[in-house]
Amino acid sequence: MNSMADLRAFPYPFGDSDVYRYSNNAIPLDPPNPIELTDSYFDEISLKRELLTKHPERCYHSAPHTLDAQWEVVDLIIDNLVTHYPDRFELEKKDDEWVFSNVQTNENITFTFGDSTSLKIEPLDFIGRHVQEDLLLMMQRDGNLFLDAGQLCFPANWSLYFDAGMSFKEIHSPIPGFKDQSLDDRILQFLMRIEAGSPWWRKNWSLLAGNRLDTSLETFADWGQARKRVTKENAGELVHLRVEVQKLFRLPKSNGILFTIHSHMLPLEKFVQHPPWLEKFYSILDELPDFIAGYKGISLYRKQVLEYLEEEMRKR
Amino acid sequence: MNQTSTLRVRVRNIKDETSTIKRFTLESMDYSKLPPYSGGSHITTFLSLPSGTLERQYSLFNTTLEPGLFEIAVRLAEDSTGGSRFWHQNVQAGDALTVSFPKNYFPLSFQAKHHVFYAAGIGITPFLSMMAELAEKEHSFELHYAANSKEQCAFYEHLRTVYPDRCRFYFSNSEGTKRLSPKLLLDHRIGTHVYFCGPERMIEDFTNAAKSYGYPSFNIHWERFAPPVNREHKPFSVNLQRSGRQFEVPANTSLLDVLRKYGINVPYSCRVGGCGTCEVKVAEGEVFHYDSFLTEEQRCSKGIMLSCVSRGKGKLVLDL
Repeated sequence: MNSMADLRAFPYPFGDSDVYRYSNNAIPLDPPNPIELTDSYFDEISLKRELLTKHPERCYHSAPHTLDAQWEVVDLIIDNLVTHYPDRFELEKKDDEWVFSNVQTNENITFTFGDSTSLKIEPLDFIGRHVQEDLLLMMQRDGNLFLDAGQLCFPANWSLYFDAGMSFKEIHSPIPGFKDQSLDDRILQFLMRIEAGSPWWRKNWSLLAGNRLDTSLETFADWGQARKRVTKENAGELVHLRVEVQKLFRLPKSNGILFTIHSHMLPLEKFVQHPPWLEKFYSILDELPDFIAGYKGISLYRKQVLEYLEEEMRKR
Repeated sequence: MNQTSTLRVRVRNIKDETSTIKRFTLESMDYSKLPPYSGGSHITTFLSLPSGTLERQYSLFNTTLEPGLFEIAVRLAEDSTGGSRFWHQNVQAGDALTVSFPKNYFPLSFQAKHHVFYAAGIGITPFLSMMAELAEKEHSFELHYAANSKEQCAFYEHLRTVYPDRCRFYFSNSEGTKRLSPKLLLDHRIGTHVYFCGPERMIEDFTNAAKSYGYPSFNIHWERFAPPVNREHKPFSVNLQRSGRQFEVPANTSLLDVLRKYGINVPYSCRVGGCGTCEVKVAEGEVFHYDSFLTEEQRCSKGIMLSCVSRGKGKLVLDL
């Protein structure tokens, strides 16, 4: 793919402000598609499957009471795939006997919808292996939301194994400033009011020294060291802007919430080809308070990236 | 309310449950299955009247044996503002209607050891889907249900047949039967969650009694539908307390747009009253809340509003 096509496909994460702060930046999702296929589909699902096989303990978790919700996720995602990508996915239904076909991987999977014994793996684990998105299931229990199941291969420096079973606020408590002006309460309130048929989405961003999608907390020692190697000279190639397209769906039967995360990455040298993006990003990174830069893992090399961006601006 | 996320349904069947309550069975227009829903869910129905669209909420259930149908029960209210009268007098089998996706603001407790439902009159409806869900999951529950008489007791035969050992009925017009009393709350074991649905007064009596008997508020649940919203968009004025500035908000413009136009940088995101980002503090004045984000308690506190959809009545003073 050439640079311009990369740029056009990249989900630019910034708004019209030169200042970035934590906020609920969610908007209604229209059209209401949970899944998006990109050119890296085959590579990414292959990597997911490899990670799931080698490291199931950090890539998959589920509590037993999530099985009904998991089947709702299967229904939602398969319906989306066969409707929007009919050349690539097929479904034959005879009552509850389903045959799902992934044309690209040449797989045909037969199962009885709703009967977990008819699949070799759990329903969420099964459907997650056919999409690039990470799939997280937040169950609403007694007026709170809990991370009760998830298939997570491409975490941006967090751990499903550690967060499993925690409430929304417990999971987000490490974020500095997240409790200011009760932002944690307000976002929880927003999530609990999400209704079936009206999904939402938002974008989140961070920087990564390197280009790995699987930046789990468990493997920090393998990829975190690259932060120390960033220089003004290599930043364009080494540092990547990482954007998560996050989507939220209420599952009407189980009253749970499906949270899908599609991670996109672009090296800075490609990102800066579009001058308005370069200038906006420079302003935001330059102004970014230390507590946000620290949490996003940028502190060690922010100076080098800013110097690189300054030089790029001078060239134009 | 996002109008794009609605469902088109057809009235398959109408049945008189009592002399004042009708049950409507709704099916998908294309004979596919309507979405599933959790116990305690409701739908909003959009009724097209000559005077405009009327939004009404009804609890969702399915007493048929066929999956993928919606059922609602509508009691003809003596003081009907149009909704129940329309359902009773105008809606016919075969009619097409627009309804929302199922929503649930009255969910079952996850950790309850035992669930006890207290219903009066048409207040039985949210419990029909809750009991169906608990029965399917083989959880423990019981129902206490008051009506004027056996004849006026909607779903009496259905309940007696499907949950024979779990229902107790209280008929106020019959001699010799017991009345439904909050004292029953004294008989439930620890770990019980209680649910109330009925007239305002009944909910209040049972809630107060439960609290006085020592039930944690966490274990007490009740259902009260939001009153119908009349979305009138009239102009109003705002004063900003801190800067002393003053603006007019025209009928066709949002408060958020006016504030931003004059350089007041209120953050925002969704612009449809759903995300809570554009909240502003209200110092004085009355607010028409049109959002779907704030809780009843937050609205009653009168201190906040969402500037993208909610509006002032006459004059508002904002803490800005």
